[in-house]
Amino acid sequence: MALVLLLFFGVPLLVVVAFSFFDYDGINTNPAFVWANYAELFGSKVTLSLYLKTLYFAAIVWVITLLVGFTVSYFLAFHVRSILWQMGLFLLCTVPFWTSNIIRMISWIPFLGRNGIFNQALMGAGITNEPLEFLLFSDFAVIIAYVHLFTLFMIVPIFNSMARIDRSLIEAARDGGSSGWRIIWDIVVPLSKTGIALGSIFVITLVMGDFFVVKVMSGSHSASVAMAMSNQIAMVQYPPAAASAVVLLIIVSLMVAAILRIVDVRRELAR
Amino acid sequence: MEPGKRSATARGAIELVNVTKRFGETVAVRHINLKIPGGAYCCLLGPSGCGKTTILRMIAGHEDPSDGDVLIDDENVVGKPPVGRGTAMMFQSYALFPHLSCRDNVAFNLKVRGVPKEERQARALEMLARVRMKQFADRLPAQLSGGQQQRIALARSLITNPRVLLLDEPLSALDEFLRLQMRGELKRIQLEFGISFIHVTHTQMEAIALADMVVVMDQGHIEQAGSARDVFDRPRTAYVARFIGGQNVLSGPVAEIGGGAVTIDSGGKKVAISAPPTLPAVGSTFQVAVRRDRVRLRRAASDKPAPEVNTVHGRVSAMEYQGSWLKITLEDACGEEFVVNQADSVFFADPLDVGDAVTATWLPQEVHYLTRGAEKHAGMARAEAH
Amino acid sequence: MAGAAPAQKQLGKRPPSFYFLAAFFALFVAFLYGPMSAIYILSFQGPTGGLTFPMRGVSLHWFHALFAQERTGDFAGAFSRSILLAVIVLSVTVAMSVLAGMAFRRRFPGSSFVFYLAIASLIMPGILVGLGIGLTFQLFEIQTSWFTSALGAQLTWTLPFGLLIMFAVLSRFNRAFEEAGRDLGASHWQIFWMVVVPILLPGIIGVALFGFTLSYDEFPRTLLTAGAQNTLPMEIWGMTTNVTSPALYALGTVTTLVSFAAITLALGSIALIQRRRARRPAPVENAGPAALASSPSPSGRG
Repeated sequence: MALVLLLFFGVPLLVVVAFSFFDYDGINTNPAFVWANYAELFGSKVTLSLYLKTLYFAAIVWVITLLVGFTVSYFLAFHVRSILWQMGLFLLCTVPFWTSNIIRMISWIPFLGRNGIFNQALMGAGITNEPLEFLLFSDFAVIIAYVHLFTLFMIVPIFNSMARIDRSLIEAARDGGSSGWRIIWDIVVPLSKTGIALGSIFVITLVMGDFFVVKVMSGSHSASVAMAMSNQIAMVQYPPAAASAVVLLIIVSLMVAAILRIVDVRRELAR
Repeated sequence: MEPGKRSATARGAIELVNVTKRFGETVAVRHINLKIPGGAYCCLLGPSGCGKTTILRMIAGHEDPSDGDVLIDDENVVGKPPVGRGTAMMFQSYALFPHLSCRDNVAFNLKVRGVPKEERQARALEMLARVRMKQFADRLPAQLSGGQQQRIALARSLITNPRVLLLDEPLSALDEFLRLQMRGELKRIQLEFGISFIHVTHTQMEAIALADMVVVMDQGHIEQAGSARDVFDRPRTAYVARFIGGQNVLSGPVAEIGGGAVTIDSGGKKVAISAPPTLPAVGSTFQVAVRRDRVRLRRAASDKPAPEVNTVHGRVSAMEYQGSWLKITLEDACGEEFVVNQADSVFFADPLDVGDAVTATWLPQEVHYLTRGAEKHAGMARAEAH
Repeated sequence: MAGAAPAQKQLGKRPPSFYFLAAFFALFVAFLYGPMSAIYILSFQGPTGGLTFPMRGVSLHWFHALFAQERTGDFAGAFSRSILLAVIVLSVTVAMSVLAGMAFRRRFPGSSFVFYLAIASLIMPGILVGLGIGLTFQLFEIQTSWFTSALGAQLTWTLPFGLLIMFAVLSRFNRAFEEAGRDLGASHWQIFWMVVVPILLPGIIGVALFGFTLSYDEFPRTLLTAGAQNTLPMEIWGMTTNVTSPALYALGTVTTLVSFAAITLALGSIALIQRRRARRPAPVENAGPAALASSPSPSGRG
């Protein structure tokens, strides 16, 4: 049975890895082994700016989702008294995850647009006189959408880690006179390390690999690495796309490996 | 305990012949030889890690020995699955299937064997009645208390018609009251069904209350196997004496021999003990056990002179009230703890205080000589036991 | 809620941080659900409805428009394909995850490799996977289609999730159940079907839920591997690039309803199962000295 799993996994994955080394050449796809694509990739200034932009998004989103996710998980794990409520509220947060990403993303458009709810509310309350333009089709919108979609990925592992913390540790700390903040820093954070690491891995890889949120929410003002890649694919420029894919893969893998160095996740998962 | 009324067709005689079990590098049990008569209630007693559960599982068929044979009713069962060898096991956690009703749990074995639904439900109900749980037939295990779950687990095992029932610490999960009640139940059921019960426990009192035969184990080998009374009153080794409790162990190298007494050096104190028929060698280790309730206490300052032999002198360090008797611990009496169990009537006639100097004596016939057991210490002579 | 009755075993006064956190949480939930609700509301507009507020009329007009295959593309077809694909994915995922999860309980040669493969597959950006499979198929000159290549692509996403869930579920599974089954004479298969699967059923339903919804909503991997015919998310994507009418919102509402139905079904059945097996206060309990005095009641038919 495990063999079957292996095959089914191995085939798509290894294929991905394998083919991307047969980097084809030029406009006509000839099977060859050329470095030209990579050279082009690394030589172009666009590449660098694309990566920087994507990393910029990833970093900001990571920080925000971490803070929000941590706070929400903390609330659920430590302040909600009854298990029933905990589960219920947790489900409440989780359910949106089960619905279409795209729909959730575009649902921000009527909300943030010039005639959208938010602007109308602001103008109605007299805070602004004109609709705020930067709300939609901008970096701001992209980040909001990312946070909306991906915070859940932070909440689930962090909540899971927190729920496993032995409550008596916290009581002991309180007994010893620790204040709330110290408890969080000294006890909760270290013990939730695994959850934070897992959540971070998810969020970062999702942002790095995204191409449609960026496209839609920025109104094509911004771009990301993956988006550029998808454009190339659409134009049937497979070789450069492949090279791009490999580089992206390597970079994402490095980031994940870095996180895994800090926290050993396998133990947690296989427990 | 004398064997109670047992059915004439006592089944489930077990014999372990030179059984060894290795788990990788560690040896769990080594060269075990044991004979358990059919229809007996046998308790395997010992601390965690002594190998008792391993032996249980080997008899059950959930493990196979690395070496040696397991015979049930003279038939070698090594390699046979539990059902094939006529054994059934009751797990410590009961392992009742949470998704099945009590009746379906009990009927499980029948269902596995393909017995048609009506028949197996009827037989399950019958078995439930025998353990007095018939009214819970349609409940789920989670709705029952610990004691009730245990009865269901029993029923489930017994319906397979085993000749040996194995119980892995069945009473550990229960609170004190229930434990005492279920103890009686277990014994009653064992007598009624007339099969062998092998019961693993680490509680001494439980073992001697229930068992026809007690097997005391330590670190993978058997220290003593005998009736409950044997194990309590006539322990074979110091280990058994200490583990079962109720005995004081006096142990030390022989300092001198003379006048019908052996004097040992116990932690710096000289203790003279009436000598056995075969005298030990000077310098060898000599060990005896004296029952704690057979020791008489006297104040040190009393006018009657204390005897020279079979006496220790000490100071009361602690007293514990146990209802009908008191546990009085002495310090400075000998190398290790010396405890006297004194009847409350005796104590309250002249109550002692912590710190009082006392003399403890016992009669020569209360001295019980111990052997050195299965230790492989080179250069130590074995003191002969009688 | 002052802790005025110290004798109460219950909660005392809540620290001020609670209110702050609770408010934050409420805000977060609003953040999650707010925008979506805007869409749902807007989808009920009349024929003159636009893309943003204010609402113009209330009707089911756009829902009808959706099902008419005029300008909205092949909605019905994509919808049925998505559902079918999701069901297939769910079945395969459940079967494989359960078997693999069971296999992983022992260390078999290569277990680490498979494990890391699964993790890698999980974090790899979807578009890469799609690209890879699409190109492979091209290499071997096979046509990509939704029930072969897209299926494989989606499995790379659902199987790791399924596996992880099974890990969590199996780690809490008491092996004694299996031993008891064996003790009572059941064969390996009997133990599997009669003992393990029923007990693990809530977890298995969870895997099924993941399998279905992850497949149903899946986009990047499917985009490049679906071949000629679209799945629903791809249809939606097509519509977003030229958003002209609230039909898109209607679509959003409908697809969300489907997801909700799936979730409710799954969670509902899990809740049902848990309730049946949950601890309830044992009714006729014998505890304490009263029990010792009265042996099992003679009235009990036994």
